[in-house]
Amino acid sequence: MKRVWLSCFFASGIAMAASPPELAAGYAAEAARQSPGFQPSARRGAEFYARRFAVSEKMPACAACHTDSPLQAGRHAVTGKAIRPLAPRAETARFTDPAKVEKWFRRNCSEVLGRACSAAEKADFILFATEAK
Amino acid sequence: MQKVLVWDLPVRLGHWLMAGGFALAWVTGDSESWRLVHVFAGGTVAAVALFRLLWGVVGTKHARFASFVRGPRQAFAYLKSLLRFSPPHYTGHNPAGGWAVVLLLLLALASGASGWATYQELDGEWLEELHEFATGLMLAVVAVHLAGVLVGSLLHGENLPRAMLTGRKLGEPGEAIAGPRRLGALLLLGWAAAGAWWLAR
Repeated sequence: MKRVWLSCFFASGIAMAASPPELAAGYAAEAARQSPGFQPSARRGAEFYARRFAVSEKMPACAACHTDSPLQAGRHAVTGKAIRPLAPRAETARFTDPAKVEKWFRRNCSEVLGRACSAAEKADFILFATEAK
Repeated sequence: MQKVLVWDLPVRLGHWLMAGGFALAWVTGDSESWRLVHVFAGGTVAAVALFRLLWGVVGTKHARFASFVRGPRQAFAYLKSLLRFSPPHYTGHNPAGGWAVVLLLLLALASGASGWATYQELDGEWLEELHEFATGLMLAVVAVHLAGVLVGSLLHGENLPRAMLTGRKLGEPGEAIAGPRRLGALLLLGWAAAGAWWLAR
């Protein structure tokens, strides 16, 4: 559940920074180990971002809270929390802290998809958000 | 030794409110849909912890910090006696248990304060990280506490969880407290409800 709490806390202190392409490459390498020949795709990421999983009534898709564009600021459909844009072009800190990225994939995938996201889906997603303009 | 009333009602009620609140807050902590439940549960834990600080000064004998907060040397001595399977019997908290109480109260307050700040969307990711750190540490202390309760129960042949329900524990008649302090328990309930509501509103 919160296996990473300790690493989260310390990682943030030591600023274990990575760039979004580095993070995407890490997930892509993991996905390639599971299915050889895997290549991340921003197009697949865009399709994933917009897809209605409809597991949760109020959070049927990523876009339900993050809006139709990762460049825009969003608002949470359940809690009303303000959400900064996902795209690094609009919010430079995005996809630079591996622990934080894992934390939010873990939380949001389980609620929106009803399961964990695969490394392939994460790689596609980050590539899509990074290339968005 | 015989069974005497050791834990007053606010101590017992506070204990189980904290345990239940912490468990509920932990399982709902990863979800946005359950966030209000999470905040209520966590708010209850924090409110009980605050009440316990006051009760540790004005409560009955074994509830008072002065009766069970001991130096680290005594706590380690007690832990060592556990390893020799011959711990001395304490009617109230043992010195190691006393440290667990104080640590859990401090962590509950740190967790509650940082959780509240995050809930208010006060900026600063460090608040969210402090919240996760404090609750993670709290879970670790809870695990140690549970292990200690199990070992202590076995070595003393005394059902400690039941003592936290009934308030009655092995002790000398002179160590008993005068009464359960029902009014204090009522105050605690009102305070915890008001606190949880205030934090979650």
